[in-house]
Amino acid sequence: MTYNSGVLLFARNNSKIDYLKQAYYLAKQVKKILNLPTTVVTDSKDYLLRSFPDAEYVFDKIISIVWTNEQLTDNTVLGKKENHYYKSYNDGTISTVKLEFKNNLRSTAFDISPYDETLLLDTDILLLDDNFKNCFSQKHDFLIYDKSYDLANFRDYSEFQYVSDAGIKFYWATVIFFRKTKKNKIFFDLLQHIQENWNHYKSIFQINQSYFRNDHAFSIAIHIMNGYNEGNFAYPMPGKLYYTTDKDICWEIRKNKVIFLLEKERHKGEYILMSWQGITVHIMNKFSLNRCLDRIGFND
Amino acid sequence: MDERLEKALDFSNYMVTMYNQKRSFKEKFYQDLIYYYNGAQFTVTKDLISFCNVMNINNQDEMVLVDDNDVPVIIDDLQEFIKNITNIYFTASNNYIYNYNKLKNNRSVEKLVDL
Repeated sequence: MTYNSGVLLFARNNSKIDYLKQAYYLAKQVKKILNLPTTVVTDSKDYLLRSFPDAEYVFDKIISIVWTNEQLTDNTVLGKKENHYYKSYNDGTISTVKLEFKNNLRSTAFDISPYDETLLLDTDILLLDDNFKNCFSQKHDFLIYDKSYDLANFRDYSEFQYVSDAGIKFYWATVIFFRKTKKNKIFFDLLQHIQENWNHYKSIFQINQSYFRNDHAFSIAIHIMNGYNEGNFAYPMPGKLYYTTDKDICWEIRKNKVIFLLEKERHKGEYILMSWQGITVHIMNKFSLNRCLDRIGFND
Repeated sequence: MDERLEKALDFSNYMVTMYNQKRSFKEKFYQDLIYYYNGAQFTVTKDLISFCNVMNINNQDEMVLVDDNDVPVIIDDLQEFIKNITNIYFTASNNYIYNYNKLKNNRSVEKLVDL
């Protein structure tokens, strides 16, 4: 059976962070490295086309999320009062700003994706290898990362192992692979239900964070799909998820290489240099990622 | 600042950067050791290579292996499988030593990360 495969990105800007810029660069890398089409879901299509006139060629599809009151019911993820959470974004260790965090749409990925096989990526993924290609050749219908590796290597990463101290296993919603199967439809519907009733699930699973986080919703949904237990509804993505937090700085991006300033242990405001080559990495400092993208331009 | 302390701090920065670079090469090595076969994932280890070779010497043409996700997989052409995992192992380890040796010759933080 031949599948229609592609990458899906959600990119919704806030007042300071241009996620569409990241999506545009990532779509180009996806084409070059994975040879796959990319669909972007955004609420700023006009801005995208103004900023990147060739966006319609770079993206396979641009799905515009513009909803009117008539299209909505009270109890949907795209509810009338879309909850925009605020969270702190760091730009290294000494700069923090509170901004809108529009992360509500990820649970709609199953319905929105135009592909039979979808690789769902955060826009702040820097694609440096073709490891994700292996998702499409393996047999499991739902893949997600449970193992990760912090490049700084000294920070407490317990929040990325379990959703809370006495909680369930943590999964990263940053990179997900899924096929359009009945089982996955049930999963994504469950995810929407969890999101709509977030305060309830947050309290049941002892999650203290004030804002809704997709990682947690996915972790809860997987736990439920596994019969409230550990199980094998979800299989691991190939390899590990490598990441830098927003306390690190992405300094320079070259062809297959990126240079980071990593937070220095016990020395606030000081950093350690690291060059990282040939392995895809999740860069949580969006400000510095965008600065790097501005510097390299988009012709690479 | 006291010159002795300044020199020590420079050296300390160099050592931390060197250590970070070594970690980055080690992770690349581990990543390069992953072999995808028939939809299954195997981390190539010396154990895996030895075990497959022993089975091959004992005239096994095919066998069942359990992959990294604990899924059993039929290896229907054992010789081909051995050839591929050996190749993966040598490529990954040769890259690792190449990068590692490059570090040894770089005596400044800038050179370590190729700024």
